[in-house]
Amino acid sequence: MVRKKKILAFAAITALLGVTSACGSDDDDPATGGGPEEADMVVWLNGADTPQEARDWLKKTFEEDHPGSTLTIEEQEWDGLVERLTTALSSEDQTPDVVEVGNTQAPTFTTAGAFSDLTDELDDLGGDDLLPGFVEGATVDGKTYAVPYYAGSTYVFYRKDLFDKAGLEVPTTMDEFIDTAVALKQDSGEADFSGYWLPGQDWRDGAAFLWDAGGDFATGDGDEWEGTLSSPESIEGLTTFQTLFEQASGAPADANESDPVTPFCAGKIGMMSRPGWVLGLLSDPEAGCPDLVKQIGVFALPGSTGEPAPVLLGGSDIAIAAKSPNQDLARDIVALMLSDEYQGILAENGLTPARESLATLLGDDEYAQATIEAASNAKLTPAAANWATVEGTRILEDLFSQIAQGGDVEELAAEADDRITEELN
Amino acid sequence: MSARRTPTPARLLANGLGLVVLVVSVFPVYWMVSRSFLPRNRIRSDEQVWLPTDGTLSNYDRVLSGDGFRNALTTSLSVTLLTVGVALLFAFLAAVAVSRFRFRGRTSFILTLLLIQMIPAEGLFISQYKMLEGVSLLNSVIGLTFVYVASVLPFTVWTLRGFVDGVPRELEEAAMMDGCSRVKAFFTVTLPLLAPGLVATGLFGFIQAWNEFTLALVVMTDPAKETLPVWLVGFSESRSRGVDWGAIMAASTLITIPVIVFFLIVQRRMVSGLTAGAVKG
Amino acid sequence: MARRRSAVRPNALPLGLVLPAAALLVLALGYPLVRQVVLSLQEFGLAQQFGQPPEWIGLDNYRALVGDSYLWTVVLRTVLFCFVNAGLTMGIGVGIALLMTRMSTWVRVLVQAGLLLTWATPVVAAMIVWQFLFDTQYGVVNSVLTALGSDHDGHSWLAEPISFFSIATMIVVWMSVPFVVFTTYAALTQVPDDVIEAAEIDGAGAWQRFLHVVVPTVRPVLLVVLLLQIIWDLRVFTQIYTLQKSGGITRDTNLLGTYIYSLGIKGGDFGTAAAAAMFMLVLTVLLTAPYLRIMFRQEED
Repeated sequence: MVRKKKILAFAAITALLGVTSACGSDDDDPATGGGPEEADMVVWLNGADTPQEARDWLKKTFEEDHPGSTLTIEEQEWDGLVERLTTALSSEDQTPDVVEVGNTQAPTFTTAGAFSDLTDELDDLGGDDLLPGFVEGATVDGKTYAVPYYAGSTYVFYRKDLFDKAGLEVPTTMDEFIDTAVALKQDSGEADFSGYWLPGQDWRDGAAFLWDAGGDFATGDGDEWEGTLSSPESIEGLTTFQTLFEQASGAPADANESDPVTPFCAGKIGMMSRPGWVLGLLSDPEAGCPDLVKQIGVFALPGSTGEPAPVLLGGSDIAIAAKSPNQDLARDIVALMLSDEYQGILAENGLTPARESLATLLGDDEYAQATIEAASNAKLTPAAANWATVEGTRILEDLFSQIAQGGDVEELAAEADDRITEELN
Repeated sequence: MSARRTPTPARLLANGLGLVVLVVSVFPVYWMVSRSFLPRNRIRSDEQVWLPTDGTLSNYDRVLSGDGFRNALTTSLSVTLLTVGVALLFAFLAAVAVSRFRFRGRTSFILTLLLIQMIPAEGLFISQYKMLEGVSLLNSVIGLTFVYVASVLPFTVWTLRGFVDGVPRELEEAAMMDGCSRVKAFFTVTLPLLAPGLVATGLFGFIQAWNEFTLALVVMTDPAKETLPVWLVGFSESRSRGVDWGAIMAASTLITIPVIVFFLIVQRRMVSGLTAGAVKG
Repeated sequence: MARRRSAVRPNALPLGLVLPAAALLVLALGYPLVRQVVLSLQEFGLAQQFGQPPEWIGLDNYRALVGDSYLWTVVLRTVLFCFVNAGLTMGIGVGIALLMTRMSTWVRVLVQAGLLLTWATPVVAAMIVWQFLFDTQYGVVNSVLTALGSDHDGHSWLAEPISFFSIATMIVVWMSVPFVVFTTYAALTQVPDDVIEAAEIDGAGAWQRFLHVVVPTVRPVLLVVLLLQIIWDLRVFTQIYTLQKSGGITRDTNLLGTYIYSLGIKGGDFGTAAAAAMFMLVLTVLLTAPYLRIMFRQEED
């Protein structure tokens, strides 16, 4: 009882202090360079994407370069990352110094001033050698707030044995690709078999067909944006998506793309667009089906001209927290993470390096080639400041799923345009 | 209650319906537990495995390897037990005051509790983060407990008050006539009758604190201080960059166990202990 | 001196009893709540979160919210969903609690254990299991129905809004019933045996005993539980959000909880989110007004 009262009194006092200090701590001068020469640095990396070897190298090298300083890597999860960054980056005490953030999440934070300006360092970090789509995506009003960490776009996994059985060749144009997908499905004769696996909600992979036909989600600049899904080019692309879904896919019209492994291992998939790391999952004896993996071949989705199709650019950025008191040390960490050695370790593990000149480090097998080709023509979603709201309200999931369910493409696209225009302005 | 005197057909009917309720409510839980013994590539499949006779413990291996689960269990247990203890004590005192006394500010206190209960908490986590940051209670069990107690307190006071109201004042007065002081009458007559209410509300607080996610996610950023739900989501995703259903099912099964243990202990201690006391008193 | 004491004492004790709870609530919720109200009157996005001074915009957040015709569709849907779910949960929960008073002990213990398991299952896991059960391709429900002769192979349970909400209702009710059962049953066991026996001796029949002895005792608890169900079912979020991700058209299945989340938190617009929260508070008060009035009158007496 007495102890409980003490806790209460403690809580009371501390909370009172909290009210006042929380009200008074809204200073708004983002740090620009400087900071102590020695500090305990914290780096947030997401998921298990960064291999352990790279982590060890980073810690060791940084601590050798900066005697007296330490570096701690705290692993964060993609799920809930935005909530954590939103809170932690606003706190001078709690903020990590360097963070990894998904390349499509980056604009949310760059426009908000959560990251330090890296424009002056850009040349030292690689300049034009840095993957262009990433730098663009992290640039606001001519200032760059994040640099690429690694890239990884989806490419096509296919079953060599099924291709042989149906007498099919690896397609080299979009038209051939569609024919191949349809032929595979017909050859199987099963309703739930996918010549090309395309769950209805999967607009991220569906985007490739939209872009390949010359369409886009929205156009505009600055504050003026307009949905363009009902332009003739976009309609053509969306119709291709519908055709593919109806004639080649066996996935449910309202499902998402989170589980390709189950249908693949059940032998129900002839082709599917997935990021490279799915291979690891398929090869795992517990999670996947190593026997079928021997039959896998890969290629970059071909576009209508024979060049690789524009697929959605995936990957991560790194940035420095604006509230971090250790700006100089943080810059050194970012430099290390973009160095040849560090990026080389990432490349060995199948991640596309952040600098174009390092792409050769990926090796020259089938997978490396598909990775490089897919990334070479990859595209980002519109760079509108409010794009996060379009994704948050799930306009695109709705649209693609309804198209997959057999809806009227033009009508649905026009509706989606109205909503996108409304959200972006 | 009067169950002993119920004629057999009615009792049989009640038992039958009870078993139906049991099967329906437990089936999803059974599905979770049974999936936890299947390798990942058999959890979703065309063939339904009703009983995993050739099961595996590998999911549990993955969950229990490393310190993650143990650390999270420690944090979760400390936060939850503290929350339940403090909330029950404070709520009990307040409920007695509200139910047994008329005093100035009583009505407004009750209505305020009700209004607090109605405020949507979804957007509140950012403000609560700022508050805990201001008092340096981030990444701390005390800080998280403090906010959790506040979130279960209105409900706990309200419900306990209902339970106190449910004990007829005449019972206390009868005891007072027998020569007990008011306080003693309260402790020997009323308190034992409140035991079921304390168990029910305590259980509520326990489960709320045990399963809370959003606030724990932003407040406990230090990986060594994550609570179980936060750890669960992170663990199941980070391992192999696919959703590791087997591990989620195994970890969830493990996470469910402490709630059952808590309930059994509390149920036995409070209900049997206190009602036994009441009979003697 | 003696007079003064007797004047002060009746107030001092209850106030002292209330103080810990009240103080803790003020400390823990005071600042966040005030800030919530302030935010709802400001243009407050991520930029402000990271230090830019917020701009006061009066009621603009509210105006933008209320002026959106879609919001009212969602409100209607939410209220309907709430009443159906709260009604079902209460009906089933109280029914089970009453049944429990009539069961053999061993059945009761089993039922209690079962419901407790249900209640204790982490929400993440429960949602995954329910998705497994109703999965379009690999779901148990489809395969059982197909085996029973009805063609449900590849049937999508979430594509149609009505079907979507039926599944959502099933899950929400499944998750909330245990709480109602435990609380109601606790209240039922609180009815002293001797009072019932006394009524029995007075010649009261089973139904009369129930109506005149049991109901009055249980009423305060039941009212609180009902009120809470309404409040919680108005705010349903996780279940709908998860089901939308695994199927279903978001725009046709949004409830207030998911809509506000997509507007505010996902979009980083905390001002709007705060205004929406205030809006929900008003909605809750309106919906529960009849109950509040009864209660207020009782308190005043």
